[in-house]
Amino acid sequence: MSLDPVDAVVIGTGAGGAPLLARLAAAGLKVVALEAGRHWTPGDDFATDEVAQSKLFWTDERLSAGGNPINFGKNNSGIGVGGSTLHYTAYTPRPQPTDFRLREQFGVGVDWPLSYDDLAPYYAEIEAFLGVSGPADYPWGPPRPAYPLAPLPLNGAAQLMQRACADLGIRTAPAANAALSGSWWQPGYGWRPACTNRGFCQAGCSTGAKASMDVTYLPFAVAHGAQIRAESYVTELPTDAAGRLTGAVYVKDGVTHYQTAAHVFLCAGAVETPRLLLLNRLANASGQVGKNFMAHTGMQVWGTFDQMIRPYKGIPGGLISEDTNRPADADFAGGYLLQSIGVMPVTYAGEVARGRGLWGDALTAHMREYNHVAGINILGDCLPYAGNELTLSDEIDGRGLPKPLVTFTAGDNEKRLTAHAEKIMRRIWDAAGGHDVWSYDRYAHTIGTARMGTDPAASVVDPDGRAHDVPNLTICDNSVFPSALAANPALTIMALSLRTADRFLARGARGEA
Amino acid sequence: MTAYPAHSVTDLIGGALLTPATAAALRDRIAPVDPPAKTVLDERQLAVLAAVAARLVPQPDRPTPIDLAARLHRRLADGKGDGWRYADQPADAELVARGLDALAAAGFAGRDGAGQDELLRNVQAGGADWPGISSARWFEEVLAGVVDLYYSHPLAQEEIGYAGMADARGWQDVGFGARAAHEPEPVA
Ligand SMILES: Cc1cc2nc3c(=O)[nH]c(=O)nc-3n(C[C@H](O)[C@H](O)[C@H](O)COP(=O)(O)OP(=O)(O)OC[C@H]3O[C@@H](n4cnc5c(N)ncnc54)[C@H](O)[C@@H]3O)c2cc1C
Ligand code: SF4
Repeated sequence: MSLDPVDAVVIGTGAGGAPLLARLAAAGLKVVALEAGRHWTPGDDFATDEVAQSKLFWTDERLSAGGNPINFGKNNSGIGVGGSTLHYTAYTPRPQPTDFRLREQFGVGVDWPLSYDDLAPYYAEIEAFLGVSGPADYPWGPPRPAYPLAPLPLNGAAQLMQRACADLGIRTAPAANAALSGSWWQPGYGWRPACTNRGFCQAGCSTGAKASMDVTYLPFAVAHGAQIRAESYVTELPTDAAGRLTGAVYVKDGVTHYQTAAHVFLCAGAVETPRLLLLNRLANASGQVGKNFMAHTGMQVWGTFDQMIRPYKGIPGGLISEDTNRPADADFAGGYLLQSIGVMPVTYAGEVARGRGLWGDALTAHMREYNHVAGINILGDCLPYAGNELTLSDEIDGRGLPKPLVTFTAGDNEKRLTAHAEKIMRRIWDAAGGHDVWSYDRYAHTIGTARMGTDPAASVVDPDGRAHDVPNLTICDNSVFPSALAANPALTIMALSLRTADRFLARGARGEA
Repeated sequence: MTAYPAHSVTDLIGGALLTPATAAALRDRIAPVDPPAKTVLDERQLAVLAAVAARLVPQPDRPTPIDLAARLHRRLADGKGDGWRYADQPADAELVARGLDALAAAGFAGRDGAGQDELLRNVQAGGADWPGISSARWFEEVLAGVVDLYYSHPLAQEEIGYAGMADARGWQDVGFGARAAHEPEPVA
């Protein structure tokens, strides 16, 4: 069945899709979003239970290979109206200006074709729209407007880290968090209540305190006439004889539909976006689709403390330090930030099992100390390497499509950066009186598989997100990042999303679209 | 070793401190699981799995242990994985079944606890030469599976003093050492 044409179809409603959907709708365009997952009613549907909430994770099987095979599912991939923001921890640090310039500064990786200054106005706009909580005077980086809301309360892990860092001369600050420290009027949605400190952000916020897309940009888009079709899984992007996309084919309730559109915005995340491009043989004259797969260095260091931490309470990520963005004694390119972390029991037990290999009495005895556990993690840069990539495997999934195969091996730079960070994190927990301190080496987020650049031979999209080879295809999600950046990605994805929409609208206004 | 009073979680279920969605999820969790309509492990494999689970997550103090093998079987049969697997290993159900066969062939059931642990340590270290599958990966998947099932059970959450399911009001004070009345305190 072919549906009435629209100006734009947006595939995916996460951090990349939602803000641009809102922008295009507000500009008066007729827009439809297609989202593979369900539209949840968090108050009724979300339990404060990790296993019940696994429904928020993308569980179509992906194959992981390489020296550091990536865990998908709850480690990095969401499904549902709101995408991975349904379960993000809502940490919203800005990257530092030099993060966009790794090549210039260190001679490795690639530079972004745009700068921090291009994104700064969007960062400010998003912080003000979502109601980000954070300190009035942020200690690192270029001046920025005060965050609209006061910081959220620090939980046990954050307070421990704060004291120990003070002793060690490491500066800290309450982190910027897209969760509300006070109630907030959200245009298109209504009042969002303040965070009740349930600490469950990674498994979905049942109150709307956390700024996931389903309580912020998406209702705003709908209020401006956008249509969101949930449980609509896109399989095909047909082209006409001239090589232009004609719309998107999707399956809803077992029925195939065809939404025709003048423009297609592909925002399915850094695994499903390149997978759809490869399946449809699109936008790949450069051969770069699926290449340059990166994942943030994300080592966690856990300690057990005599005092009670009760790590399930409070926003999980309360405290940050960016003193390590460019450490003076670094033997690696780039840098990382430090964050305190709370943790839910099933997640922690899983890490103890996979990362530490504890079982039997050693496991159950360690878990009995769960209430005494506090963590710190890093969020660090990662370089692109040949061979770290996404390809289509020859195994077919339940939908009849080839499963994606992701190969990832950390390079020397990631290993040196992680070793540097591990030393600092252990020093912090030693200073705080931690015992049984252990590290869990992990890689977070999926980045870089449809790289942005000015050279069509070396990148998939241009700085405005337009595919070099397909005139009416725009891509916006974590896949367009040329480098990983030493900051959690969602804020920058949203900033790119608004910028991509603005560039698109400006071209339309000039008659170029 | 830290221990907590019994019923700290089960007493919360049905009370005003849990939202209906959370209470429903926990009630569901406590209920015994039905065997899957379409089984992926046979009786012999299930018996070995139960013996393995008892070594991985011992439950000596529990009169009726949480039925981890039955729960893992159910999960494998439902085919709802966690969204990924190692590319060099077969699908989860097949991987688990093959490893259980190999353990059966190595006489796992006939060993005493110490002998079983010795065998499992070798499996974990990748030392068992199992055709077509890596014993280390097998061990990791089975361990991660039973650990996930165990610590998502309200009785295991009582054992570790977790009270995060009390979500209806949230927490007033999240600072260092703060405790609300319904957060369990360790018993001596
Ligand atoms: C546990 C966890 C904690 C995190 N915490 C943070 C944090 O604190 N701060 C931060 O910045 N980031 C965090 N992240 C990462 C952040 O959530 C993601 O980087 C971000 O949401 C990615 O945005 P995206 O638009 O690329 O993809 P997504 O947000 O994943 O959106 C992609 C959407 O596309 C849909 N889709 C995919 N394929 C199709 C298809 N074929 N048809 C239709 N729809 C499709 C998906 O269902 C999904 O809804 C966290 C992630 C996880 C897993
Ligand atoms: S800690 Fe706050 S923002 Fe996070 S899930 Fe709980 S109420 Fe929502």
